[in-house]
Formats: sequence, structure tokens, C-alpha cells
Amino acid sequence: MRGSAKVVPLEPRGRRRAPAGEAEAHVRETRDGFLVALARVVEAGGAGLDWARLAEAWSAFYFAWHSEEVDEFGYDPKFLRTILPFFEFLYTMWWRVEASGVDHVPDQGSALLVANHSGVLPWDGVMINLAVRHEHPARRECRMLALDMFALLPFLAPLLAQSGAVRANQENGERLLRKGELVGVFPEGVKGVGKPFKDRYRLARFGRGGFVRLALRTGSPIVPCAVVGAEEIHPKVASMDWLGRPLGLPYLPITPTFPLLGPLGVIPLPTKWSIDFADPIPMAAYGPEGAEDPILVNRLSEQVRSTIQHMVDSRLARRRSVWFG
Amino acid sequence: MTLRRTAVTGIASLLGSRVLRRLAEVRPPESLVAIDIAAPPDALGVRHRALDFTEPASDQRLLEILREEEVETVVHAAFFTSPRRDSGYAHELESIGTLNLLAAAAAAGVERVIVRSFTAVYGARGHNPNFLTEDHALQPEPRLAWVRDKLEAEQHAVSFARRYPGMPITVLRFAPLFGPGVHTFYTRIFDHRVVPLLMGYDPLVQLLHPDDAVEAFVAAIEQAPGGAFNVVPTRPIPLLTAYHLAAKIPVFVPHPVAYAAADLMWAAGLGAAPGAFVDYVRYLFVADGEKARRRLGFVARHSSRDALTAYLRYRHPHAALRPVEAAS
Repeated sequence: MRGSAKVVPLEPRGRRRAPAGEAEAHVRETRDGFLVALARVVEAGGAGLDWARLAEAWSAFYFAWHSEEVDEFGYDPKFLRTILPFFEFLYTMWWRVEASGVDHVPDQGSALLVANHSGVLPWDGVMINLAVRHEHPARRECRMLALDMFALLPFLAPLLAQSGAVRANQENGERLLRKGELVGVFPEGVKGVGKPFKDRYRLARFGRGGFVRLALRTGSPIVPCAVVGAEEIHPKVASMDWLGRPLGLPYLPITPTFPLLGPLGVIPLPTKWSIDFADPIPMAAYGPEGAEDPILVNRLSEQVRSTIQHMVDSRLARRRSVWFG
Repeated sequence: MTLRRTAVTGIASLLGSRVLRRLAEVRPPESLVAIDIAAPPDALGVRHRALDFTEPASDQRLLEILREEEVETVVHAAFFTSPRRDSGYAHELESIGTLNLLAAAAAAGVERVIVRSFTAVYGARGHNPNFLTEDHALQPEPRLAWVRDKLEAEQHAVSFARRYPGMPITVLRFAPLFGPGVHTFYTRIFDHRVVPLLMGYDPLVQLLHPDDAVEAFVAAIEQAPGGAFNVVPTRPIPLLTAYHLAAKIPVFVPHPVAYAAADLMWAAGLGAAPGAFVDYVRYLFVADGEKARRRLGFVARHSSRDALTAYLRYRHPHAALRPVEAAS
């Protein structure tokens, strides 16, 4: 399997998932938690309006799907495990994601996963995370660096933090990489995720090479990653940014389904996705002082960008249908 | 050799009294002086010098005290832990009081000064980094007199440290205290069954156990490296998780309503703090304790959750708390 560029068949996906016992234990635990909460609510109702019992019931409900301790960025593995089935449905049934070359991600130690960004909403981050989680032999977790526009957005911000995403900046990235984590980043930023439909699969400028400096300073290899299929899930044919700006949104797209179908327009289209991982580009040889060399940083940044563009192009050349791959 | 003494101010406050007690355990009581309006407990055997920092000539008086007592180290803990309605008095005590104390200490040839501060001086801002380091700009909301006075005290410390390089001034920025004996506007949120939570926001908060705060003081007194240090618990906790651990009923409030409601409550004499403090339950102000670990050798022994649990046990000794769940 290792080194093969072929599409990974469907069976290994099931095999490499979390061991059945562990997953079942978690399902049982969550179910028991909710049952306890339900029992408490019934109990509280039976006792008349008793604030203490009501509070206890609410607390039991909350801790049925949240842990009591989170990490320093607010990541709550129990919460993520609870909401994961929904994303697994998107991964296997809705977008039928084909991941290839996941084995290129190192089994351990820090690494920086660099991918193209698209799709108006950051679904691609979740899908890359799932690909690594479920199809990598070491079942690694990937901590995504989220743009400020998502990581600071009310309602979305707490959800992202609890599911392991972290605000994208140098300090946060460095902290995670120094702990030996696998970190995912989208250097295109807003320019990528909010690009109009006509510009699909043309990678935008890779920021100012911040991700390269991050990798150089921590000596982490860069793993280029190309996502195909996400550009068509919310085809942004026009925009009404003037309406989004007062709401604090950097863009507000018009897609064939949004705002025409109202809330239903938020449902992404069921395209066929592929996620390709390439050979890691080692960074340790340049040493941390390489981060201070803007020419080197730009060169490496462009190298990663063109690698990903090439991967996207070759995948597109083989793709016969947006919907069926 | 003459006995060189340590003076502690603000010994009527929880932290000041705890520091004095802790020092009295490890040093002869004769080596300690308590400077405050209130007297320390007689059982400690610590000398008391009465002084009101808000009096006009308090710096002259303090200079005399420091000279007479041959004070080597000053621990300055005379700060209010909650906003006050008479903000003029608070300003005299905190900002002007610190200025006078530093002037007297410099004139008396004191060798080291430790000043209490708060991580709130960074200000709770939407764009704050996940971990505020000591060199991050201090930009609190200017309308908050309680924070502004702390900020001014820190600015006095910086200016004196520059003018008197021989007198290192160590500023300790403590995360909000939670634990036995703590009563602040921040803990008061937890004294009601129904608690407000801002819709769409659930910031991580740091709650510091007083035991850790005292140990940080001791480390700072021993090393006195000068400069600012964050003193923070091992791990933060999401506000909503803290509410549910305390068996509260959170009520979700849209933030524009929250600011107005908090201001109204404060004006009506019911609230614990003015409306602008809503920022502190809306945005992050989590500080990084790495510098204190490196330079002071201080690492907190309690997490935010431990501090919360200790506070709840203290407030409700007979209530059943959620058992600590095994780390998953």
C-alpha cells in the first residue's frame, strides 16, 4: 500500500477505523450519559420546579457529550467523538472522499499539512482531518489552523475550538508543532476559501510564506495536500459582500441554492471528492535560521504551491465527472 | 549584622494576609512588618505599622517606616479585587498609593519590590492571542476604572524600574483567584443559581487557586528578577463547563443586551461590576505562564478546575460535587 498513488479501495477505510470495541464503548458511554440526563429531567419535573434538580439534569446532559477538562486551546475529544458521525456521513456517503497517499503523513512527530482552500465554508478542513484520522495507519489527529473569520465568529468559534481547530497565527502553530502535533494549514486564507466559481482550482497567493517560516523554525516537514471536489460544493457565482460586511462577514456568496432556497441553500452539493497527499518536504536541513531568509522562504512557499497546483491539475485531468469522479 | 526586614502591604486582603502568614511560617516573625490600616492577627507575632496610603503625606510617613524598620523587601498587595463605586478612593489607593510606595521605597534604599497585578490589565479583546505573553501590549477598556488603576500602578512600576535599576520591581499578574476565602466580582457570578452566558461565546477562562498565588509570591520574593510575570493555573476551563460543573442554570443572553443589563444592574446597586466587564466573559484573556516557569521556577499545582472545585467546596460545604472523571 505504501507509496502507491492508486486510489485506496473502500475496504481498508472500514478496517483502519477506530477499533470496534473503543467506538462501541464511546457510543455506550454517550448513550448512558443522555439516559441519565433524561432520567434527571423526569425526576426534576416530578418534584415540581426544583432549581437544583433542573441544574443537575442540565449538567448531566452537558457532560454526556462534553468532557470536564479540555486542553489549553479548548479541544474536547469527547465532543468531537460525539459529532463525528455526522461528518463521517459526509465523508463516506455525501462526498465519497477518496484519500490517496495518506501514508506520506509521518507516523509521529510534528508535521505541517498544507492544502488548497475552497468551498466558501471550511468543510475541507474537516474532511482532511477525517482522512488522516481514519485512513492513516497511526490514526493521527490533525489540528487545523482556522482563519480568524471562522475562529472568531460567534457561535462557530466555540464549536471550532472544541473540535480541535486553533486560530491561525505563528504563536499557536509553533506551540502545537513543538508539542509534536500534526498541524493543518491553508495558506491561501480568505482568498482561497471565498474565491469565485470561475477561479476554481487556481490556487491563490500563499500568504507571505508564514507557514514556511513556521515549518523552518520548528524543523517540521511540510506535507502538500490537494483537495479536489470542494470547489463545486457551494459554487460562488456572485457575491453580496455589502450585505455581509455589517454582519462581520468578509464575504457573503450567491450560489445556485443560496439565498434562493433559504436555509436549505447552506446544504453543500454532493460532489465527488479526492484528497491527495504528497511526499513530505523535509525542512530540518535549512535550520531554524532559514526562517529569517525571505528569499528561501518565498522559494519554498512557491515550491509547495506549485506542487499542490500540479497535484490538483493532474487529478482534474483524470476526473470525468464532478459528481462521480 | 542587622536584621533586614520584609514589609507586606494590604494585609487585610486575602492574598496579602495569606502571604504574610506563609512568610511567618518560614521566617522569624521579627523579620516581618505589616503595613496597613488594619492590624494583623496577634498570634502571628508580626510588627504592625499603621498607614493609610490615601493620606496626603503617606509617602513621607512610609519613608520613615521603611527606614526605621530597615526594610529590604516590600511586597505590595494593597489592591481592590472588585470594582468599587467610590472609584476616586480606589484611584488614590491603587495608582497614587503605588506611586508613593515606590517613591518611598526608592528613597529608603529598599532592595526589591514585588507588586501585585492582574491578568485583566491585558484587556479582554476579540483579537487577543490564545496566550498573552508579558510583552503583549496592555490595552484594557479605558472606561473600566478598576482595570485602569491597575494599569497605572504597573506604569509607575515600569518608570521607577527604569530610574532605579538597583531596585528590581517584580510585577506579578495573577489570573482571577478562585478558592477558599475568595470573594470578588468574578466569583460572585457563581453565587447565584441562574447565571448569564453570552449567546455564541464560550471563552476559556483561567481560575487561579490562592495557594498557587501565595507560592508565586514566595518565589518572586526569593528571586526578585524584576519585570512582569504572568501567574496562571495549569489549564484553562471553558466558561460553560465551569457553570455546569457548579450545577448552574445558564441563561443565554445576546451580548448587546448583556452590556446594557449589566450597566443597569450596576447603576441600580444590584450588579457586581459595570457593563464593560462583560468583555471578560466574552473574550479571551488567557495568559501564558512560561516566563514564570523559566525565571521564577514557578509552576501552578492546581488547574482552573481544581480552583473552581475548591471554591465550590468552600461556598457549599455540604453540596455534592461532580466526581472528577478519569482523563479520557
